[in-house]
Amino acid sequence: MNPDRTLPWDWYPGRIPENVAVDDMAYVETTYSFCFFRSQLPRGVEIGPGASTYLGTMFDVGPHGRVKLGKCALVHGARIICDSEIIIGDYALLSWNVVLMDTYRVSFNVVERRKELERVPTRQPRLAEADVPARPVRIERNVWIGFDSCVLPGVTIGEGSVVGARSVVAEDVPPYAVVAGNPARVIRRLENG
Amino acid sequence: MSEPSSTPHSPRPVQRAQVPPANVRLGPNTLVTGELSFKRFLSNEPDALVIGSHCTMDGVHFALGEKGRVQIGNYCYFTNAVLLCELEMRIGNYVVIGWNATIADTDFHPLKPAERIADAIACSPLGQGRPRPEIPKRPVTIEDDVWIGPNATLLKGVRIGTGAFIEAGSLVTRDVPAHARIMGNPAQVIGEVR
Repeated sequence: MNPDRTLPWDWYPGRIPENVAVDDMAYVETTYSFCFFRSQLPRGVEIGPGASTYLGTMFDVGPHGRVKLGKCALVHGARIICDSEIIIGDYALLSWNVVLMDTYRVSFNVVERRKELERVPTRQPRLAEADVPARPVRIERNVWIGFDSCVLPGVTIGEGSVVGARSVVAEDVPPYAVVAGNPARVIRRLENG
Repeated sequence: MSEPSSTPHSPRPVQRAQVPPANVRLGPNTLVTGELSFKRFLSNEPDALVIGSHCTMDGVHFALGEKGRVQIGNYCYFTNAVLLCELEMRIGNYVVIGWNATIADTDFHPLKPAERIADAIACSPLGQGRPRPEIPKRPVTIEDDVWIGPNATLLKGVRIGTGAFIEAGSLVTRDVPAHARIMGNPAQVIGEVR
């Protein structure tokens, strides 16, 4: 990273936000990933040693959101929708168009949702920011998530598990399992090691 | 049209208003952004795309075929949705469509193998304007207060009832009752939302 928090190889003329910690041995392909980053926390995003984020990764992180990428985590192109906490463990592999969300950003209640949608066009930039309960998402170490998969609020994916492409993970996944489908179900167990 | 907007980390406006084609009508305070919004907009219909007031269409692809018509109500909020319309889509008020969701009112190609060969030729540079075979199309209707999650897919002919909640990644092939919460592939009712 340059002293002014730009990236020498970046095609986008942005900066790494002040409250984003990028390890010296991490790789961020583009600051475009932070276009919708608006966390107010002292450490909104932490990118660990050897971790990398590529084009298509979007840190859609709200004012109270916190995202952590562990050692050598590879995020090819995930949409990270975070209002509380999303932790991606060491050596995790995330494919393109993966959605990790810890919040729905709008209420389930129609009346409340309408109120929020009336506020969206008054904001700069226009975003839904309703104060709805968010439930942290945890991707433990050594997890592999296939392309186009969605991980819904509150889900923990256990160590070493694999999520097949296009899966929708609505419930916790035990460690060392292979899950697939929509909704995702365990289809195999993996031996540890 | 509203002013473009930016966040502290992006020197360029992250939501830059697009200039729509002449047969698009936008209500007051409606913002359409994204470089690719109208790249696949081919409709020749008068008022092919009509969007109500106070809507936010952030990075939406309006891929309308020559006869496609899309109508969208007020206070809708779509992010990076892909609307593939060859016939008709009617979308109500207060509808949310999440990132990378796809809605199509057509099958794109015929089902029968021989017709598909004819279609491949008609679409190819060798087609020389030959007409394409009949392709199944059915209008899509999304009623008021529907929420559609990221990566969801809606196929032709579906009607989504008022207030329905379509979970992220759902593949919707059938009508959805009002206030139902659905998920899966194929999507099934898993509960109710009020």
